[in-house]
Amino acid sequence: MKSLKSVVIGCGAIAREHLAALKDIKNTEVVAVCDISAAKAEATAERFSIKKWSTGYDELLQETKPNLVHVTTPPSTHFPIAKTCLASGLNVLCEKPITMEYQDFLELKSLAAEAGCMLLENHNIRFHSSIERIRSLIDSGGFGEVLEIQIMVHVNLFGAGSPYVDANVPHFGLALRGGVIGDFLTHIACLTHLFVGPPVDLRTIWAKRTSKSPLPADEFRGLVKGDLVTAYVEFSGNAQPAGFWVRVVGSKMQAETNLYEPPRITFRRFRSGEVAVASLIDGLVEGRDVIKGTTAAFWRKLAGTNRYDGLPQFLSQIYQALGRQEVQPISLDEIDAIARLVDSFTKPELKL
Amino acid sequence: MKVLVSGAGGFLGRYVVERLLARGHNVRAIVRSAPTYPEWQNGVEIFRTDLRKSEKLETAFDGIDAVLHLAAATAGDEDVQFSSSVVATEKFLDAMAKSSVKRLVHVSSLVVYDWHHENRILTEDTPLLTNPYGMGSYSIAKMWQERVVAKYAKALGWNFTIMRPGFIWGPGHAAISGMGRHVGRLYLMYGPLTRLPLSHVANCADCLVAAVERPSAVGEVFNVIDSDDIRVWRYVREYKNRTGQTGISVPVPYRFGLALAQLALLISRRLFGPKGRLPSLLTPSRYEAQFKPIRFSTQKLREKLGWSPPLSFDACLNETYRKI
Repeated sequence: MKSLKSVVIGCGAIAREHLAALKDIKNTEVVAVCDISAAKAEATAERFSIKKWSTGYDELLQETKPNLVHVTTPPSTHFPIAKTCLASGLNVLCEKPITMEYQDFLELKSLAAEAGCMLLENHNIRFHSSIERIRSLIDSGGFGEVLEIQIMVHVNLFGAGSPYVDANVPHFGLALRGGVIGDFLTHIACLTHLFVGPPVDLRTIWAKRTSKSPLPADEFRGLVKGDLVTAYVEFSGNAQPAGFWVRVVGSKMQAETNLYEPPRITFRRFRSGEVAVASLIDGLVEGRDVIKGTTAAFWRKLAGTNRYDGLPQFLSQIYQALGRQEVQPISLDEIDAIARLVDSFTKPELKL
Repeated sequence: MKVLVSGAGGFLGRYVVERLLARGHNVRAIVRSAPTYPEWQNGVEIFRTDLRKSEKLETAFDGIDAVLHLAAATAGDEDVQFSSSVVATEKFLDAMAKSSVKRLVHVSSLVVYDWHHENRILTEDTPLLTNPYGMGSYSIAKMWQERVVAKYAKALGWNFTIMRPGFIWGPGHAAISGMGRHVGRLYLMYGPLTRLPLSHVANCADCLVAAVERPSAVGEVFNVIDSDDIRVWRYVREYKNRTGQTGISVPVPYRFGLALAQLALLISRRLFGPKGRLPSLLTPSRYEAQFKPIRFSTQKLREKLGWSPPLSFDACLNETYRKI
């Protein structure tokens, strides 16, 4: 198979995760990196042994003609960069959220369809090993009938040195709908879409609990009703400890996982017989799962496993599709549905 | 002379401004908008901005004779430190490039040296790190900050000086990483007989001002340390006595700690290959950069710059702990 070329635009923390994952994908070569800061671009090129770096992307893209452009810049720049790439017939993978406004996404979607290019948003969470395990159990009937999914993201927005409330340089998330919470809504929407399907009703609550902060809100709750499954979604900027909890409630079993600590996942199954004995067994099994999961999570940290558990798998599928000239692993319509859900979270007056 | 000081609201910056004033200079002090800045006397013009933003920076250089660039982050993750130290420096120097100012004194750090390959005396000729990426966020940022300064200064023909202080200590900042680690009631001293490259904040500020004033500093690099006479055990003893802390000091031989780190690295490489991650104390290169028992030369400071520290160690102790 011929080698596939990539260019990464934006050299922050998430770009390093992309670059680390790309190192392990066969038949790919990162031919250049780009950042508005020359030092950032050069440092990234040096660190990952990439031959070329630049502070501008127009000429770079023309010169290198990559098979995929990774756009890992702040969200406000995704739209113009992706538009330039698509206009040049280049495939694009954008970090989340793909655009600031849903209308801008629709324009990119139409451009991608016209150009016959891939247009992807980073939905690595969908390929997270714990999510894949839960999905496989759902498919095999392990949960019985799935009734509800709970998605809870807890991030300390106000800790010492928090970039979210830096009074000197506003965080890029403040420009998003919902403020910095907007930076987490794509993952929440992606999982909601995955488990609930098309929503038929949606309710949200936004609140500002810490009054002396530049944030428009630091708490978010939502209820999404699908045809068969409902989702309770939550973001808290005050709850501690930090975590990305997903709980799946079925008619036979419940599962709970913290996506920040893979592969930790615990189950509670329906057991017939004496209740006290069943509770004891449940507790012992859960204890075993917690110890197994947290030990494995610690081991993964020592091993330097990618912080974004699903990213290597997601990128691998994209490059596989590119190499085989297949369709993109997540369809544009699915990305559209997720972007629309994000939009609905921040505009509760919208009719679904 | 009118001197522009970046990072003037920081621990070292405040001393530098005071020292410049005491030497009869005028100062334009760049401080962040929030939360507060020091109450300086006459002779200080406040310029509020954050160097990570590039707006209106050019005017900061109007009427300036020399620039003392101190601004840098000392905490935060890699992105925060790189952005606050390196990207901010790029923006700052972009603005300087549009002015007529040609004199720049940049404050770097001893962390830019390759400590692994230095076994005797660390001097200004000790080789620099070639691969800083395994050394932690602060080292990466300081290394790149220095590279950026050198690149601009050489391209634009500026008269520049690089100053690399050791452990800067003083009031409110007496706990330094070279002391070892404080675990519960225990003070683990890695290499209790190791000499510390100390630079008391008042002495350091005096040295930086000397570099601004003296033509002999132009085009030179200086390691800024008071002396290497003080060893870890003495520093920890003074710290504990003067802060009234009652913990137990536990000496850990340097070579024992290093052997432990080397063993951890070996196991990590065997199990996980080059991707394996270890904490700072179990990463041999990072352990060496904090505790390696070598000597530190002040010869160039004395002979080339003609500087020696005005305050003795005892005077520094009194200055540091008098407010506690």
